[in-house]
Amino acid sequence: MLATDLMIPAVADIRGTSITYYDSRDEKDRDDVLVMVHGTSGSTKTHFGFLFPILAAKQRVVSIDWSQPDRDGERLELDQLVDQVAGAIEVILPGRKVVLLGYSLGAVVTAALAARRPDLVERLVLVAGWMKTDLQQILRNDVWQALRASGDDAIRSYSTFCAFGGPFLGSKTLADLQPAMDAMAFDAFGDQQMELNRRIDIVEEVHRISVPTLVIGCTHDQMVPIRHQKALFGAIEDARFAEIPTGHAVVFERPSELTHHIQRFLDEPEAFTAGSIVPTPQP
Amino acid sequence: MTDQTVQHVKTLIVGSGFAGLGLAIRLKRRGDGDFAIIERAHDVGGTWRDNTYPGAACDVPSHLYSFSFRPNPDWSSVFSPGPEIQQYLRDAAREEGLLPHVHFGADMLDASWDDNAARWTVTTSAGTFTSTYLVTGTGHLADEAFPAIEGLEDFPGAKFHSARWDHSVPLDGKRIGVVGTGASAIQIVPELAKIASELVVFQRTPAYIIPRAERAYTEGEKRLFRRDPSAITELRSELFWGGENTYAQRRAVPQFLEAGKKMALDHLAAQVPDPELRAKLTPDYEPGCKRVLISNAFYPALQAEVTTLEASALRRVEGSTVVAASGAEYDLDVLVFATGFEATEPPYAALVHGRDGVNLSDHWKSGMQAYDSVAVAGFPNLFSINGPNTSLGHNSIVYIIESQVEYILGAFDYAAEHGIEVIEPTREAEEAYVDKLQADAQGTVWIDGGCKSWYVDQRSGKLTLIWPDFGFAFRDKNGTFSPDGYQTRIAPQALPQPAGV
Repeated sequence: MLATDLMIPAVADIRGTSITYYDSRDEKDRDDVLVMVHGTSGSTKTHFGFLFPILAAKQRVVSIDWSQPDRDGERLELDQLVDQVAGAIEVILPGRKVVLLGYSLGAVVTAALAARRPDLVERLVLVAGWMKTDLQQILRNDVWQALRASGDDAIRSYSTFCAFGGPFLGSKTLADLQPAMDAMAFDAFGDQQMELNRRIDIVEEVHRISVPTLVIGCTHDQMVPIRHQKALFGAIEDARFAEIPTGHAVVFERPSELTHHIQRFLDEPEAFTAGSIVPTPQP
Repeated sequence: MTDQTVQHVKTLIVGSGFAGLGLAIRLKRRGDGDFAIIERAHDVGGTWRDNTYPGAACDVPSHLYSFSFRPNPDWSSVFSPGPEIQQYLRDAAREEGLLPHVHFGADMLDASWDDNAARWTVTTSAGTFTSTYLVTGTGHLADEAFPAIEGLEDFPGAKFHSARWDHSVPLDGKRIGVVGTGASAIQIVPELAKIASELVVFQRTPAYIIPRAERAYTEGEKRLFRRDPSAITELRSELFWGGENTYAQRRAVPQFLEAGKKMALDHLAAQVPDPELRAKLTPDYEPGCKRVLISNAFYPALQAEVTTLEASALRRVEGSTVVAASGAEYDLDVLVFATGFEATEPPYAALVHGRDGVNLSDHWKSGMQAYDSVAVAGFPNLFSINGPNTSLGHNSIVYIIESQVEYILGAFDYAAEHGIEVIEPTREAEEAYVDKLQADAQGTVWIDGGCKSWYVDQRSGKLTLIWPDFGFAFRDKNGTFSPDGYQTRIAPQALPQPAGV
């Protein structure tokens, strides 16, 4: 029989908020569990379609889709997302410490969680994350907000232009990307997350993170430029840093190279000591 | 008499393809000239020397299918033709100063381990060698596989294997049968369709075929590669990780498997309008279970006026009449066997005898296996490059070869540092490695894809040819030597002498 689909959604009630999660369950004779948290306007399916089943071939993986708090019209706060993820870990994996991986806004959420709840986190992987929003990000966010408000379909081109690295886009045709561009969905919860992205400042908290951390940055990232991941690398005491030559959408451009760094850190956390720059593979 | 002398080298390398040359270059470059290469043919190049059939080319982009330590800015196109790859290997052998080390026409007849002397004795058709280390670089595509066909010996026309192409046989205007529709056949058929008066293609199992993103590099691109070698490094990295991304299909992740299947079936639909022919060309197994092929020319060639697709095996031959399993009969002048290679049961193994005279093919009677895919319990100081569980269904074998070369050099260094004269993996380590590998292979298309393939040893159902994981996982696991899993014997002269003696 061919492998069954591991992407089977389950639902958990976290203090009155219903969230969707995925759990590969099979521990594969390992004692560490990986918990993954997606980025802005994403989900396990859209951001971790590659990573979840691939990493789950080696160990138990849980992935959490945060959901809109039941307060329409209000601002979304980082604390709400952090609480959802912490609550989900306590419900799905009671009494266990986890290896926590966050991508993009998910990296902000998991970094804050690791600082606040060291009792839940054994190790941390931050992919294309940041700790303080800067002007380049605000200006990009302004353009996105304006396109969103005007209803202009150019928001699809703009989002694609920002998400992918130049070298990747330069090697593709519009026909290659059109299906993904057409499939982009915009909604109120996504708008709340984009607004939250303007107000991130967890600099002090990040300095308190004590668990071994792998920070992954992307050379051609135009949404969260690589200086942000370098700032994380500096701010976290027990951090090592790896760079992948893609844009922000590393989970689509080179999920395999991303897997390489994650798997290495999962299998041999001590392979690179605190402060190391992980060499870029030379195939 | 020179043929009576026995030449001793530290390292004896069998074969001068990518594997043998790769190790030799790295040895030579680090100042170790104490090696010899035995090569049964009269040129280097391995599979690229042997496969001279019309249309021969590689399915892996050239900038990835070449040594990382010998980048070539002048590749003519994304997938360069076979003769260009062969020239690349010849140039490498010459420019790296390897040719004085190569013994051509030296067919290995026997390799036996002498435990007292702690060395291999290797008898060849061109003299005898002894060596501390024996490294096989014999590849998976070295010995051609020929099906047993009733009546074939009485076929009056020419017949040959694709890897032993007989260029003296005139093919223009001839009635030609091609047996097989694998990687070689799909390159041969478009060329023969141009010149045959009649072309019959015998297909047992259709392949998934995806478009070939082929194009020539411009002069500007080649000049950039020469002027800025980092452009080659970046391209190589892009090609490698692009290949690695497709591993999700081999892991049978449903959305990627479906996308891969769709790409192939869309290609088929776009190139083959006739629903009846299309049905014959549609596989009934999962993509990747057998090698996924790339071609833009095969389907059109099947629809050429001269071509007939016989969607059944070649059953028997009656004079010049060739009979298919379906009962269809064809009168033919030439038969070309594009039937692949003896990959799962490599013939060289029958020639190798380890500790206590144990034969390697006996040791491998339920399927070949090796610790860290490189060393075999009971066969001390033997390393195999591109041996058991090293083939990739989704990326470049040169990456694997380079990983194994680094591992072997690490083993040599470790032995030298510790005064070790005999090193071999323990049986337990080998079994544990193979058990883990077989367990990890479950859920991949190679095991569960619903086809019969050369990747699986039909005697045991074990996956013996393929490395069932990412390519990078091979290098992470098997690219650096570690003494774990090995047992060693210290050379007497390296042991501390008793005090006062």
